[in-house]
Amino acid sequence: MSHTNAIQLDAVSKSFDGFKALSEASFTACWGEVHALLGENGAGKSSLMNIAAGLYAPETGSLLIDDNLVRLKGPLDAANQGIGMVHQHFKLVKPFSVAENILLGLRTDQALGYRKRLQQTAEDIKAMAAKLGFSIDPFARVDQLSVAEQQRVEILKVLLAGARILILDEPTAVLTDAEAENLLTTVKHFAQQEGAAVILVTHKMNDVMRYADQVTVMRSGRTVASLKPQSVSVGELVKLTVGDAPTPPQIPASRAAGEVRLKVSELHSSDPSNPVLRGVNLSLRAGEIYGIAGVGGNGQSELANALMGLPEPVSGSMTLVGEGELSGLSAARRRELGIACIPADRYSAALAAPLSISDNFAMGEIHSGRYGPFWYLRRGRIDADTAAAVNEFDVQGVRSLQQKAALLSGGNAQKLVIAREFNRQPQLVIVHSPSRGLDVRATLAVHERLRRARDADAAVLLISEDLDEVMALADRIGVMSAGRIIGEFAQPADRQAIGQAMVNHV
Amino acid sequence: MFDATDFQPLLARRYTLEVRQQMAWYWQALVIALALIVGLLISAAILVAAGVPAGELLNEFVILTLFDNQSLRAVLFQAAPLIMVGLAGCLAFRARFWNLGLEGQMIWGAIGATAISLFEIGPPALRLPLMMACALVCGLLWALAPALLKLHLKVNEIISTLMLNYIALNFLLHLVYGSWKDPRDSFPYSPQYRVFERLPELLDGLSLAVVIAMLVALFVLWFTGVSRAGLYLRFVDNSPGVARAVGVPVTRVILGTVLLSGALAGLAGFMVTAGQEGRLTHSFYAGYGFSGILIAFLARNQPIAATVVALLVATLFVAGRSLQVFYQIPFSMVQLIQAILVICVASSEFFIRHRIRRIQGGQG
Repeated sequence: MSHTNAIQLDAVSKSFDGFKALSEASFTACWGEVHALLGENGAGKSSLMNIAAGLYAPETGSLLIDDNLVRLKGPLDAANQGIGMVHQHFKLVKPFSVAENILLGLRTDQALGYRKRLQQTAEDIKAMAAKLGFSIDPFARVDQLSVAEQQRVEILKVLLAGARILILDEPTAVLTDAEAENLLTTVKHFAQQEGAAVILVTHKMNDVMRYADQVTVMRSGRTVASLKPQSVSVGELVKLTVGDAPTPPQIPASRAAGEVRLKVSELHSSDPSNPVLRGVNLSLRAGEIYGIAGVGGNGQSELANALMGLPEPVSGSMTLVGEGELSGLSAARRRELGIACIPADRYSAALAAPLSISDNFAMGEIHSGRYGPFWYLRRGRIDADTAAAVNEFDVQGVRSLQQKAALLSGGNAQKLVIAREFNRQPQLVIVHSPSRGLDVRATLAVHERLRRARDADAAVLLISEDLDEVMALADRIGVMSAGRIIGEFAQPADRQAIGQAMVNHV
Repeated sequence: MFDATDFQPLLARRYTLEVRQQMAWYWQALVIALALIVGLLISAAILVAAGVPAGELLNEFVILTLFDNQSLRAVLFQAAPLIMVGLAGCLAFRARFWNLGLEGQMIWGAIGATAISLFEIGPPALRLPLMMACALVCGLLWALAPALLKLHLKVNEIISTLMLNYIALNFLLHLVYGSWKDPRDSFPYSPQYRVFERLPELLDGLSLAVVIAMLVALFVLWFTGVSRAGLYLRFVDNSPGVARAVGVPVTRVILGTVLLSGALAGLAGFMVTAGQEGRLTHSFYAGYGFSGILIAFLARNQPIAATVVALLVATLFVAGRSLQVFYQIPFSMVQLIQAILVICVASSEFFIRHRIRRIQGGQG
């Protein structure tokens, strides 16, 4: 097998909205190998691969295919260069058959009739599937297929379109263990037999150790290492992915944590076909920050939604000590109980982007009657309170209180959310990925607010996929994996041990 | 020396389309005004083609309708029910509820009012307020079913409200051709309302309907702008997902607003029967449902703008009637003109959302 370079990305940088997603990342995959791209959520893996697939244009850096410099103008261009990407979220037309879906992406001889071309495609599908070692009915409707089968359709689609460089974005995230094993064996076989290059974007250590010929590790937008997985231990790989930079020591609470304020017990997802939460148990005390660490997709979002009262079908109990059960309470009622929520996605769960800053702020205390009775809004008082809070919480870029919230930058929008939620002293704070997409300064400001809330005796639950953030803030850390808290660590905690717990548990 | 770009043929220059972040309200108003003018010019061309002398257009539409005291009163009188359906449209659309059942709710409002008159419920002095109240309640109830179906069973309100129109209409026909038919002749309408059952003219010939319409417009302005419900409604309108998450009682807000919309449509039905026709007829509602949707759309669901647009549409109605009399232009021409105006304004959205910019240097 000749190990010549199939695809090479050289010192590629890309930023979104001032946030540097990639800084001088470099990546090389050879023909005939399965190359894993490993990293935590937000490390820049998907951004880098989207550049390889022609979806994003890099700001600086170059892309070489077969050692030739190319400039991709779009995904179609990438396909012409033999690059095919299977996204984490499938892009299939549900009511169409397998053959129809695949035919859509092919440029076949238009002179042939549609029936003929469909027939031809169906035969190609069977042949390619046989080559890969599975079988599939080309005339089955896509929405009747299982997730694993749909994924195969996606793979067939890019291969039949002529891909020689196959990028799989988190392919095992949606699969059961057996299905994942099956898939990885198939692609490994394919790379070896056909001499193609397969790039496996993943954060699963096991997949890397067992199936990759080479692994490139990314951390916060940089590629930090490229090595043979056989040559290192899992521990070393973990160290590379989570980093061993000395995190600034966590600042402990000024006084000991008080009584238990929130008790979550046996929280399960109600949907039996997709049981994301599988019995979460935790208790949270007043005056402490409890951090939930974990690799993304292990139930963190679902837990956050359930606690914040966002749509999420769960069973089990969430008790606010002294007030009772939380499930079933409206967001308004939760706020009255002194619960402050800072969701991960600001513009889908916290701020109405087209509405003014003062309208958004007013919702914080609208129910208390401070802003007038039902038939009358006290605009003057709303504006005065908003102005004071904007000032106190240092929300920048506010030219007018009537300006749309959408015009605030990410960090300032987050500060506005915090200003609203913390304007009255909260008892319990639920925070999910509070610094996602924020720059360093804004992140520090947000962290400072959370510490202050803790020191004012609030119970703070911090759910974050950013281990640095959890390490810097939390007084106690719970590691979440496969829908459960599988271990708890008290500060000062061993970063490596937490990293191991995050990835080792199945 | 010549600059190379000077010789570039026009088409070789490159233009790009950009999405605009925001446009100042006065520019938006200007774009919409231009669109309306374009629409009016197209309408004028069609009217001329249909046989209206070009010189008479201005006279018919502007001078004779707006500068003649009697026609101006007619316009205001005509505007009252249009303002009602327009506001009803604004409210429902702000709750993101596509109430296409304005006509059905109007019909039920009129039926309710007529029932009070027919069965002589209440003393004469209270008859008119009772009819009005009954119209409100009937319109509201006709909107209740689609609202509940949508909120609890996710039934598409576009279909349900539209289909309920047919049920309302056929029930209306059943009444005016059947048991409620005026026994004195054989036309499909109910007996005439008594004098005290009709909306009176106040001083200077201004109908009470106009005053009621203005009061309701003020009420809607208060509801959407000053009350807490208005704040809730802005959240529901702009970001339904966020609304729930930040504690807006979304279901109650939608239900309340849709019921209010139905009630206003019912009131419009009462205004047409008790104001213009003086009885329940088989076709009193014709065109109002469509106009209500159009008024709300052109006014971008703003109550004050809806009142203004309703006045314009009323002008069109009144002028259309006189065109019908003098030039035998069918009344459906009014709907044609309305449709043209809507298409023009809808197209102008493109210029509000985008900007066309020339690329400097030509080569890109």
